[in-house]
Amino acid sequence: MEAAAPAVRPEPRKARLVYPKLAVPFILLILCFAAWGVAANLTDVIVGVFRSIFDMSNAQSALVQFAYYGAYFTLAIPAAFINRRFGYKVGVLAGLGLAAVGGLLFLPASEALVYGFFLAALFVLAAGMSILETSANPFVIAMGPEESATQRLNLAQAFNPVGANIGVLLGAVLILPELTSEAEKTILSPAELRQSQEDDLALVLGPYLGIACVLILIWLLIAFRKMETPPEAKHEEEGASRSGALGRLWHNRHYRYGVAAQFFNVGAQVCAWTFTILYAQDIVGVPAEDSGWYLQASLLLFLVARFVMTWLLGIFRPTRLLLIMASLGVGFCLVAMFSLDMVGLIAVVLISLSLSLMFPTIYGVALQGLGEDTKFGAAGLVMAILGGALMPLVQGLLMDELDAAKAFAVPGICLAFVACYALFDLRTRRGGGGELVAEGAH
Amino acid sequence: MTTPHVSPRLVALGAAAVLTVGAGACGSGEDEITLGLITKQEENPFFVTMREVAEDVADENDVNLLTAAGKSDVDNASQVRALAEMTRDGAEGIMIVPARSRAIVPAIETAREAGVIVVALDTPTQPRSAVEALYATNNRRAGNLIGRYAKAKAEEDGIEPRIAMLDLAPGISVGELRHEGFLTGFGIDDGDPEIVGSAYAQGDEDNARATMARLLDEDPGINIVYTINEPTAFGAIDALKEAGRDMDDVIIVSIDGSCDAIKNGVRTGEIDATSQQYPENMAREGLEAVAEAVRGGPSPSGFLDTGVELITADPVEGVESEDEAFGVRNCWGD
Repeated sequence: MEAAAPAVRPEPRKARLVYPKLAVPFILLILCFAAWGVAANLTDVIVGVFRSIFDMSNAQSALVQFAYYGAYFTLAIPAAFINRRFGYKVGVLAGLGLAAVGGLLFLPASEALVYGFFLAALFVLAAGMSILETSANPFVIAMGPEESATQRLNLAQAFNPVGANIGVLLGAVLILPELTSEAEKTILSPAELRQSQEDDLALVLGPYLGIACVLILIWLLIAFRKMETPPEAKHEEEGASRSGALGRLWHNRHYRYGVAAQFFNVGAQVCAWTFTILYAQDIVGVPAEDSGWYLQASLLLFLVARFVMTWLLGIFRPTRLLLIMASLGVGFCLVAMFSLDMVGLIAVVLISLSLSLMFPTIYGVALQGLGEDTKFGAAGLVMAILGGALMPLVQGLLMDELDAAKAFAVPGICLAFVACYALFDLRTRRGGGGELVAEGAH
Repeated sequence: MTTPHVSPRLVALGAAAVLTVGAGACGSGEDEITLGLITKQEENPFFVTMREVAEDVADENDVNLLTAAGKSDVDNASQVRALAEMTRDGAEGIMIVPARSRAIVPAIETAREAGVIVVALDTPTQPRSAVEALYATNNRRAGNLIGRYAKAKAEEDGIEPRIAMLDLAPGISVGELRHEGFLTGFGIDDGDPEIVGSAYAQGDEDNARATMARLLDEDPGINIVYTINEPTAFGAIDALKEAGRDMDDVIIVSIDGSCDAIKNGVRTGEIDATSQQYPENMAREGLEAVAEAVRGGPSPSGFLDTGVELITADPVEGVESEDEAFGVRNCWGD
């Protein structure tokens, strides 16, 4: 379904990827796509790290994701406003700058040793990333001929999962193996315990300061480079703020349920990745230094499965494949809940297989046939990222009440909702036709 | 052909970064020393964990670590031989888990006379002064924790305590300290009417099964079982099940904290609580202290408590405990 971009007109020769003199800016923007992948998936590691450092509950540690995805949700509309009012370049610079400030805020936070400061730093970092993502996507599209827009966007987005894997790798290599073990903490004096907290937080500080430095570097390279793209307003104003769009969208059940399905899909994804490491440690007893590799395996599986799913989507009806994969995901969650060993952990990793096609498929199915309301509708689907802020909190609470295995009921239920949406689409006739819509970067 | 211009400042910064990373990769930069670790045997996961942690800590501290183990828990001869060989091979410090607390002492004295610093891990020598220091679980506290838990749980469940005690063996200090700790924690003494049966199960599962069956024959109403270690607890559980007892009506407490017991006993609720001990702390603290002493630092002395935590899936008010997830994260063995 990702191939369902607008039909390409025959050209006498192949359209160039980017306009002349925009090759370097395009590469810089590709770095941005990788950067938000690094930041987003490093937080999946950080949840367990903070639980260990601050000796707190799972629900409290899940506030990391609440701060991160909450910022994404909160900044979605202001980011769109910045783009429309000031242009993509200003949007990219604002995003990079704010994210860099967020990374640098880890410095005073680690001095204070207060969890809330880290959450604030993460919120600022994610707010910047939200603006960056909202600006970079249309900026990339505007950097070259319309004919190669999909190719350009796909190329740039391909670096997002690369960044995501680097993010987890940073955590798995630089942080998890070096943390003070809980057994060691049982014999430390209060002064030694505080020192161990400082040492462990210094491990967290390193990657985030590194991210901040890279972002500042990209900021400088973009800020002092002249970048001229065709008029941006034209791209944005088409179909924007059309009166009655909200009402029409609300009465479109495919869209309305699609937003809910996307909410639960993002919730399931963030839950699965946030709690993979904790499942490995708490249920199977995988040592902290090895636990990050299971999350790495999840992300690699997700990456490979995306390509496989793209091929399968050419064979099967998208919602049929969505139904199969969501049902499979529910099955994996059930195995994780009741098989408290390596089999359960493998099932947790395999959840990523079922997640791999969901965001683009739901995105496309929900927006199908919306016509002039497509852009407004797309914003609603992006804001469904709120699921990533809320569902990990629910899973964290359930972990505290039951255990890390039973808490996998949360992504299981989320995926069951996605399966219901697929079933609804399969059994319901649409009012209009329309093509599937190409997806955003997730 | 033109040569690309590279700023000398940039080269200097790059070189500094490479040197910093390189120095970090080459350990702490101290002179390498040789130390030895002698455990009781290589089958028990407790000692496997101890050796693995010691090897990791040795790498971090520029220590060449020699390791040896006996063939069983009571193989003194192999330990005596290992002490002599390590001393001959230049070990400047040795950590030993004595298989025979008294019998090993002459071999330790010979090593110490040769200038080797010797500390005991897990099990004390008799006398304790035969080594510089002891790094071990506070066994009295381990027993005390499960005693307090059993009493609070009995009160919470409203049951009249009828206690069976499955001890280690006569004259072994570890077993005696745990036994005393349990009694203190429960608030009773040997001979009190709450104790309806007591026997030595040797810390062995099969022995424990037979011993528990016999105690149940004598008093089928037993509702609290103290076990010296987790294999003993599993043996007692088998006997209780064979006797048709509902495990929800019996409180079983133990000591050790192996992964097998946490995952298959505590997590399932069959073992109500266990005191978890940490071989990784014994290995790390012992090795770091001996390495520091060999390098001219203070010599280790006395007793260092390597920590113990109460692990339960069913916490009771007034007794501090950790949940089974903590137990799984910090257990030893598979």
